[in-house]
Amino acid sequence: MNFIVVGCGRVGAELCYHLFKRGHQIVVVDINKEAFNRLHPDFRGRTLEGEGLAEGVLERAGIHEADGLAAVTNSDTLNAVVAHAARIIYNIPNVVARNYDPNLRAVIEAFGLQTVGSTYWGAQRVEELLMSPSQRMVYSAGNGEVEVYEVQIPEKWDGHTLEELLEPLKQCYPVALSRAGHSLLPESTLRLQASDMLDVSSTFEGIGALTERLSKGLEA
Amino acid sequence: MNVLIAGGGRTGARLANLLINQNYKIQLVENRRELLGYLHQELPTELIYEGNPVDPSVLEAAGIRDVHALAAVTSNDSTNLAICYLGKTLFDVPRTIARVNNPNNAWLFNQNFHVDVSLNSADVFAHLIQEEMSLGDMMTIFKIRRGNYSVIEEKVPEGAKAIGIPLKDMDLAEHCVIAAIIRDGVMALPRGDSTLQAGDEIIAVASPEGAQKLSDFLAFPVYPMRHGKKEPH
Repeated sequence: MNFIVVGCGRVGAELCYHLFKRGHQIVVVDINKEAFNRLHPDFRGRTLEGEGLAEGVLERAGIHEADGLAAVTNSDTLNAVVAHAARIIYNIPNVVARNYDPNLRAVIEAFGLQTVGSTYWGAQRVEELLMSPSQRMVYSAGNGEVEVYEVQIPEKWDGHTLEELLEPLKQCYPVALSRAGHSLLPESTLRLQASDMLDVSSTFEGIGALTERLSKGLEA
Repeated sequence: MNVLIAGGGRTGARLANLLINQNYKIQLVENRRELLGYLHQELPTELIYEGNPVDPSVLEAAGIRDVHALAAVTSNDSTNLAICYLGKTLFDVPRTIARVNNPNNAWLFNQNFHVDVSLNSADVFAHLIQEEMSLGDMMTIFKIRRGNYSVIEEKVPEGAKAIGIPLKDMDLAEHCVIAAIIRDGVMALPRGDSTLQAGDEIIAVASPEGAQKLSDFLAFPVYPMRHGKKEPH
């Protein structure tokens, strides 16, 4: 597929290399040609020096043939405006804008754009690992508001049902249960065994409450 | 009328002063430290709101819900576009006006970003200069409707084609109206059968086509020679 990446900073350069390794055609745009030095030495794709807002630059980047565009500069307004123009003016089906300054996330959201806030997301992951190193996050949705975590069922919950464990928790839903190398879609009546691996879809608050409940047991 | 000005550079500060003198109620939003010191000397402190003008919570705190017009005049084009978009979609601002910094970005300043009016200073200035060069002695007094129509003043030179022709026969009506003739310092309102004499000054309202047509009627019969240059052979 043909992708345009606007902004060749750390995120942009890394993204270009990922897409290239998957066999896609990439055009990467940056106002500063020194930025292209960040690209991986094995990267093969087109670099284009110019401002992402300029009509001529977007046209030369092949916007009419693009399947997707990522606006990943360190300016939130530039990302929002380029992404909005790609969607509204050129009908690009798949457009993503990076949120750089967490204080300006509302700007990108106001345009109704798909967004990834690497600063916010990174900070949240570090916070999670600091607070509770035992749970493992296996999937992160959106900007990390909802994530899928894997937790191990301890001895004290052996023989209890899944419903007993999760019933009082508001922001935590079961996704899968793995036992002896097999996984299944868990029903609420399922009886837990020690060492089961339970995947739950949860908010940060939800997983905190689940971890606490797992360690305290049913009486708590 | 309440106006919110986003951006306190030279344009924003000048606009604020102009509007204050005409009794508009304004609020100017700016967050660049290096500009704020200067702004506080230029404008009453209570009219300056310190914050990032593209942050919706800042716009709201600065009173955007009560304004009749929003002027996005920062030095950053994507910021001006985003401010207009937020102003309309989040706060229902009735009228948005944006400054274009780089003419290459002017194509985005339209309803796709909820920009009602855009002003591109480089473009306006370039056109004014071009007009001054192409229309000889014609002088633009001021522009109406964002530069489409102008009020112009021009002197009728000796030997001009227009001399002696009744105005109604000059076939200008569609693009140009001659509003006044100043002869020997006395202004007269012309009629269709009025004629021009050498030395008259006229004031006209004209579209660009009209100005060109008028200029042809008032041109020197021979292109004037430049001083210090030899005539080409």
